[in-house]
Amino acid sequence: METVSERVEIEIAAAAPGVPLVRHAIRGLLSGLDVPDDVIADIALAVTEACTNAVVHAYPNGGGTINVTASHADGHLEVAVRDHGGGIAPRVDTPGLGVGLPVIAAIARSVEIGSPHDGGTEVRMHFGLGGAAG
Amino acid sequence: MANLPSMMNAIDVERVDGIDVVTLRGEHDLSTATDVSRRIALALESASGLAIDLSETTFIDSAVLRVLITAQERANEQGAGFAIAVADSSGHGVHRLLTLTGLDSKLSTQPSRADAIAAASAP
Repeated sequence: METVSERVEIEIAAAAPGVPLVRHAIRGLLSGLDVPDDVIADIALAVTEACTNAVVHAYPNGGGTINVTASHADGHLEVAVRDHGGGIAPRVDTPGLGVGLPVIAAIARSVEIGSPHDGGTEVRMHFGLGGAAG
Repeated sequence: MANLPSMMNAIDVERVDGIDVVTLRGEHDLSTATDVSRRIALALESASGLAIDLSETTFIDSAVLRVLITAQERANEQGAGFAIAVADSSGHGVHRLLTLTGLDSKLSTQPSRADAIAAASAP
């Protein structure tokens, strides 16, 4: 079986306007593949929630960047959303509902949240691209 | 449904029989949630009811969902009518987020814009 692999790397400022940019980049990556629209929509939602978490929680004092890498091979997609801030500590004025991670977990095949040795937080998500059960 | 390019979005407000109808077109997320919240707050200041039309919404995330929940709570506190139109034409992501969070059963949703306006007119 032929193995097709492609990788996308994006760096955005950790601010709200960057969130849709990442979503559209991920859609762009998937648009050339034979992936059902509903699967693309699900992945777009999960990636958006991961980016929103990073924007909201990583840099309480503003500034900072978020790095997103996405790669696919053999019907699987891995997306890592990495910030370089203070982690995903709760904040009382969060603009979210606290449902971001549960939504990601419901959509992704697996999700790992790590603290890289050089700081920040990385949310690494794995998705199947074959269908709703993927 | 309007065929908006995927990155386009709009927030339109119109008054229909004393009810403010806030229509979210295209994609809405953290980058538009503050604007959506502001338009809804303005509507609730003067209208007797509020309908939020998601029938032309292709995408929302949890930041927008929080705005919708806050709007419903505020409308209830004020005794104002409130309903959200989530139609078949609403994007997959809209239905999916509501289902995954379980909030489809907690938000006052109607299957069409007309139904939402009618429901918001009769709190």
